[in-house]
Amino acid sequence: MLSAASLAIPRLRCAAPRRSQSARNQWMQLRRRSLSSSSTCPYAAAEAGSGALEPPDLPRLADSARISLSPEEAEEFAPKIRQVVDWFGQLQAVDLESVEPSLRAGTAGRSLREDRPETFANRDAIIDVIPGYDDPYIKVPRVLNKE
Amino acid sequence: MPPPLQAQRLLLSHRRLTPSNRRRFTAVSSLPSAPAKTLATGAAPSSILSIRESLLSGERTAADITADYLSRLRRTEPSVRSFIHLADAAAEREAEELDRRIATGGHDAVGPLAGVLVGVKDNLCTANMPSTGGSQILDGYRPAYDATAVRRLREAGAIVVGKTNLDEFGMGSTTEGSGFQVTTNPWDGSRVPGGSSGGSASAVSARQCVVSLGSDTGGSVRQPASFCGVVGLKPTYGRVSRFGLMAYASSLDVVGCFGSSVVDTATVLSVIAGHDKMDSTSSSHDVPDYKSELIPLDLLESKPLNAYYILASSEASSNLSRYDGIRYGRQVSADDLNGLYGGSRANGLGHEVKMRILMGTYALSAGYYDAYYKRAQQVRTLVKKSFNEALERYDILVSPAAPSAAYKIGEKINDPLAMYAGDIMTVNVNLAGLPALVVPCGFVEGGSAGLPVGLQMIGSPFSEGNLLRVGHIFEQTLQNFSFVPPLLAEG
Repeated sequence: MLSAASLAIPRLRCAAPRRSQSARNQWMQLRRRSLSSSSTCPYAAAEAGSGALEPPDLPRLADSARISLSPEEAEEFAPKIRQVVDWFGQLQAVDLESVEPSLRAGTAGRSLREDRPETFANRDAIIDVIPGYDDPYIKVPRVLNKE
Repeated sequence: MPPPLQAQRLLLSHRRLTPSNRRRFTAVSSLPSAPAKTLATGAAPSSILSIRESLLSGERTAADITADYLSRLRRTEPSVRSFIHLADAAAEREAEELDRRIATGGHDAVGPLAGVLVGVKDNLCTANMPSTGGSQILDGYRPAYDATAVRRLREAGAIVVGKTNLDEFGMGSTTEGSGFQVTTNPWDGSRVPGGSSGGSASAVSARQCVVSLGSDTGGSVRQPASFCGVVGLKPTYGRVSRFGLMAYASSLDVVGCFGSSVVDTATVLSVIAGHDKMDSTSSSHDVPDYKSELIPLDLLESKPLNAYYILASSEASSNLSRYDGIRYGRQVSADDLNGLYGGSRANGLGHEVKMRILMGTYALSAGYYDAYYKRAQQVRTLVKKSFNEALERYDILVSPAAPSAAYKIGEKINDPLAMYAGDIMTVNVNLAGLPALVVPCGFVEGGSAGLPVGLQMIGSPFSEGNLLRVGHIFEQTLQNFSFVPPLLAEG
């Protein structure tokens, strides 16, 4: 399944450029561009509190998030994302010394139901909505694309 | 950039209406003990209690009440567009079925919400009715089960009339982020209804249904309530089961509700609240009969908005990874699995959703967790602490629900930070998990009859009863003003 922080798989795919689907080509081209070299990037000048952090590498993020961005979309997103991430960076200036992080609000219940398997009553409805079903398998295209 | 943080001034003033404006509003008694009065425009009574009285006394049938609402819905829907999916034929059949049960079973057949038409935000699963989350990626998807909140409404006799429009997966503050259509504000068709539960708010505001369900992660029930002049409640985190609510940010999401009065809102809460074994974060805290606690008559904090957006985007980037085109939803075929994921998500997910997933992915990347996500969680601790301190000294904190009335359609759509700035009154409440109620409190200039403004009341955890009680008193002090939009006065 998808993992937002997984970085290993993109390196594998870089080594297999044989597909000529236009979406894939665009994807590969995006990876070679570097957004951080832009002269308008606010990180080029050392901003207070955000010094050590790399600006967002949009192609790499899009990869991790498994969203194919077109070059037009990347152009459109990049400044907006930089602007928002800059704004996120204002947190660096807040004094949070010895403050415990809170995972949640603290008002939630904490009960777990009995760990006893039951058969769901409406399995048919679940199977009906699967785009590629070949009983009893869910069909997907090839997983690995190593030569 | 959003304005720097500063103490917000208490807003309780309201514009004095000129005599000509006053004529547009019809006085309606909101006391539950008074007999329900019909609005002078001929619209049907809108309260749950008056429907119940009519059914019990035999004065009206469920089919009749439903027909009344549906006719108003059909008249206003071409301009308001609250609903992504309308189940009007099914609603008519359910009403007829209810009448048959009342004829044979008498009063036993009349549950607490019998004959009450409800709108359900489209990020709540309804079995065998499309549920899209406002996203093209789930176009046509039919869930295999009802969300617990929906199931409980149905068990109480409510009739689900349709699925209301929203910003995709709850991400947005104007409902312009829907993958399907633009919903307009019943008070001014050139303005937004607010978001993300814009369709649920506009449907109740235009009296297309009696009450509706929404969800609130950063203000998505409270702000549209303010913009549309209806009552909106965000319960305590854990008060209502999230089972069947398409997750956006799991530590912040709650299911909330809208009504045209505090009584109706209290009634819905009593039905949907309570522990659910299918949601381990749902609380076993006692559920009182909130409406029976209603009786007939400060200090604001403002903390970092960016901490909320860091947390919400991060959690969303994880929650929305399930929309991959494999088990449900729209699939874009490709030669390999990663291409299928990438293409399906690129095609099905909207602009704002992609932005937030990417922002969240960044904030959670190796090396950045400490700088963003962890710091945001620390800010969350500070927010909780400051609310707790304030709520030890005061029963209820009040603030405006939003820094302005409804925006024009298209006004904020290209400036994300300006859009986010509108949430400044509401996100802290989600960070702390507290309950909050918004009631219409007055108007500002705009539209043909003014634009509504909502008052937000915040309480300590599980103090919904207290909030509803105070809200009800406040509602009654408004000189019997009825917040009915001008478009209902026509025809």
